Amino acid sequence: MTRKLYTPTRRALLKGGATLGAASLLSAPFVNHAWAQDVTYDGEVFDAGGAVLNIGEWGGGWEEFVRKALTDQFETDFNCRINWDSSFPWFPKFVTQGPQNPVYDICNWNLPNLTQTKQAGDFFLTVDEVRENVPNAADCWDFAFASGAGITWAYMPYVYAYRTDAGEAPTDFRAFWAERYANKRGTYGTENGLMHAFFMATAQEFGADQYDMQAAFKALEDAMPMKVSEFTFNMLSLIERGEVDIAVHIEGEALSLKRKGVPMDVWMWDSKPILTQTKTISRYSDPMQKKLAFALMNRTLSPEFLNAFGDEFLWRPTNANASITAPLAEEGVQNTAEAVNEFWVPDWDFFVENKLEITDRLNRIFGL
Amino acid sequence: MTERRIPLVLAILAILGFAYMLLPIVVVVLAGLTAGEFLTFPPQGLSLRWVAAFLSSEKYLSSFFFSFKLALMTMIVSTILGTAAALFLSRTNMVGRAAMRAFFLSPVVLPGVVVGFALFAFYISTGIGLSRTIWGLWIGHILYSTPYVIGTVGAALAAYDTSLEEAARSLGASPWRAFRKVTLPNISQGIQAGSIFAFIVSFGQFEVSLFLSSPNSEPLPIAMYNSLRYQFDPSAAAAGIFAITLVIASVLLTNRLVNLRTLLERRQDGS
Amino acid sequence: MSALSTNVFAQARMKWLLVVPLLAFFVVFFVIPVGLLFATSLNPQAIGQVAVTADLTLDNYLRFFSRSNYLLAAGRSVILGVIVAAITVVVAYPMAYVIAKTEHPGRNTFLLILVLAAMQLDMVIRLYGMMVILGDEGLINQMLRGLGLIGAESSVQLMYNFMGVVMGLVQFALPFMILTLVGVIRGIDPSLEEAARSLGASRRRAFLRVTLPMSMPGILSGSLLVFALSISSYIVPALMGGFRVGVLPIHIFQQVAEGARFQFGATIAVILFVLSALAVAIYLRLGRRHSGGLA
Repeated sequence: MTRKLYTPTRRALLKGGATLGAASLLSAPFVNHAWAQDVTYDGEVFDAGGAVLNIGEWGGGWEEFVRKALTDQFETDFNCRINWDSSFPWFPKFVTQGPQNPVYDICNWNLPNLTQTKQAGDFFLTVDEVRENVPNAADCWDFAFASGAGITWAYMPYVYAYRTDAGEAPTDFRAFWAERYANKRGTYGTENGLMHAFFMATAQEFGADQYDMQAAFKALEDAMPMKVSEFTFNMLSLIERGEVDIAVHIEGEALSLKRKGVPMDVWMWDSKPILTQTKTISRYSDPMQKKLAFALMNRTLSPEFLNAFGDEFLWRPTNANASITAPLAEEGVQNTAEAVNEFWVPDWDFFVENKLEITDRLNRIFGL
Repeated sequence: MTERRIPLVLAILAILGFAYMLLPIVVVVLAGLTAGEFLTFPPQGLSLRWVAAFLSSEKYLSSFFFSFKLALMTMIVSTILGTAAALFLSRTNMVGRAAMRAFFLSPVVLPGVVVGFALFAFYISTGIGLSRTIWGLWIGHILYSTPYVIGTVGAALAAYDTSLEEAARSLGASPWRAFRKVTLPNISQGIQAGSIFAFIVSFGQFEVSLFLSSPNSEPLPIAMYNSLRYQFDPSAAAAGIFAITLVIASVLLTNRLVNLRTLLERRQDGS
Repeated sequence: MSALSTNVFAQARMKWLLVVPLLAFFVVFFVIPVGLLFATSLNPQAIGQVAVTADLTLDNYLRFFSRSNYLLAAGRSVILGVIVAAITVVVAYPMAYVIAKTEHPGRNTFLLILVLAAMQLDMVIRLYGMMVILGDEGLINQMLRGLGLIGAESSVQLMYNFMGVVMGLVQFALPFMILTLVGVIRGIDPSLEEAARSLGASRRRAFLRVTLPMSMPGILSGSLLVFALSISSYIVPALMGGFRVGVLPIHIFQQVAEGARFQFGATIAVILFVLSALAVAIYLRLGRRHSGGLA
């Protein structure tokens, strides 16, 4: 009952006399403090005594579904309350509050943003620390741990979404550059995760490997004029209206538009990069919050939730025991070791290290 | 009483202006009334299914009412603070009056994300407990809404002759009474416009809220943008239709109330 | 004599009570937070670092001024603000005039509802409406094709460029300008215009010589608001310009919201702020000259 008050107060005390500088203490290892003590979790339900768990997670329809399918029951079972924050972006919030005062106990990310945060300080538990305490992680494919900081629970491949009434279907990655798509090809602003993946895939395709930034810049220059969008929604409406005939997209969302009757289809890039949903647990969360975060991570990775989630949004699960939703399974999508083996997680550490230069060059290419 | 005639050129220009202002709105409203599965224009048949979907969405509705409450709170404070400041600015001759007016306008020239982030960092570094609470968010919204009130009330005051109030004072009216009976009615249009701005600026505010909104209760624009990241359905347009309906209802209602009041006042004065 | 001056003095003191609450509010919640953020523009770039340090440098400003895309964006932002303010005045004035002069309560309410409804629609979804009309495959281009004015495959570029941003911002700003003007036009004593008419002035002349000059305070304060709205808008340039029209708010958003490069983001914000302040100062000066001491 007093826990709600207790947590912030203690945090305030920990901050001590530090005023403006508090947020900037990025990596001081305060390992002796109570909040850094070892917490273990074995998969059992426990009573959290009304504790509050701060989570960073997408909002809107996503939130509505996840609350119903996951967190409402979680709150009841564990006797806790979830503070749901969906005001993206989370990276600036994390770094402003600093690692010792984590803005969220558990947070759901795309990898470029997660990596950016990971590189900025000691914010998250490592993969191994999380794995040990999340029983369901044992059933996950290896690429679920590729981020080095959290566990990936769902993914979908990057695709071109293209209109079927605008000529031949694309058959390779370079189709995007075809003459007929001039000013009819769509991609995203410099800070959009889809653009980041497109950039890495372009480097891989046109250059020596994914690290060949110059080749990517050159290729993207050649792709102008493009229609550059900010939201995936905006891109979908551009496709629906025929403003764009081919666009960088992700499988599930593009397919959902196809399912609604828009004359379009998807082509999966042959380099097979994937967009991922990855949850991280904050290193300096309080013990009870950390334990709850393990528990929530465990439930997120459960086949029951992943199946329900896949049915709703067409995401694929990383848990080997979960199944692929029917519409994708009908297209031949499988959840087997061989099938997932071919997926590629681009080197996001490299991307983040070079992000300043990439943003600068892309700005110039777009004319910003 | 006959309508005062409006010069023809102005009338034609006004019609063109209204067309420009309203066409996109009409498109969105029709698209939101589609019977089909996705946002499209022209709509695939008309129905209220997406409006119904919006109304049955707990998430959207709670965001809607949160935004409504926040906008009301913002409107009240902005209107009072802004009107008072505009009165001061119109009555002082001090040096730097123009600078002060410009100063009060300055939040609006900065992108909302700058002020929103600056406040967020300020709340955290001072530890005053406003970070990601409705109060902290409220403050951000007031900063953005008050300049509009100052602008409209200031314009109304500039067009209004202060000697009227002085005359009333010299006839023995108390300052408050002179203000209420003479100045206030003359600038009420400006105050009304200002408070409407304050409400709408707050209600549609996205950028300022980005860093300041509190968990579990986020303003409608944030909820909508969040939703638009994954969903391509007409519920955002349906939210717009609902908002417009609400505006119409509230205008009609206040009009009725105002009419009633003027009616009562006339009767009083007449008796 | 002395009694009177004491009274005036007391009044002057009382007057300050009107503005002190807002001043205090602005100092605590605007000047200090934004000032602290601005101060970081003098610190070296460090991702995620938000506190001001004693390590002073002009690197961020040098970076800004040594890159043509930032300079161009700065110029474009100011020009955009000026153009949008000018167009909005011209488009909004007749609309406001009609609303102000419509005395029939029902019709008047109807017109006001139209303005408010336009305002109330969220900007992102409203821009969808703009795209349906102005896009390459939009209604206008379809109409031009139907009339044979352009080829079946070609289109006139009405958005995804500077013009698109201007049209989007005018759409956004119109209701603000209209409502500001309505208040002012209504405040003008109609007998003045009638007096001019009775002295033999044509309706047009009476309007040009009496009503329009007396609306100047509204025009000035409205266009100032619109200028401010336009120069700080992120979402309209982003969507209507198709990310091809660089303006300062887009760069600020990139740096602050996504990159957490607060120092450089703050630098761009300082420059935007200074540019706006200069523009506003010039504007107020001109305004004073033309309207005999507004502002």
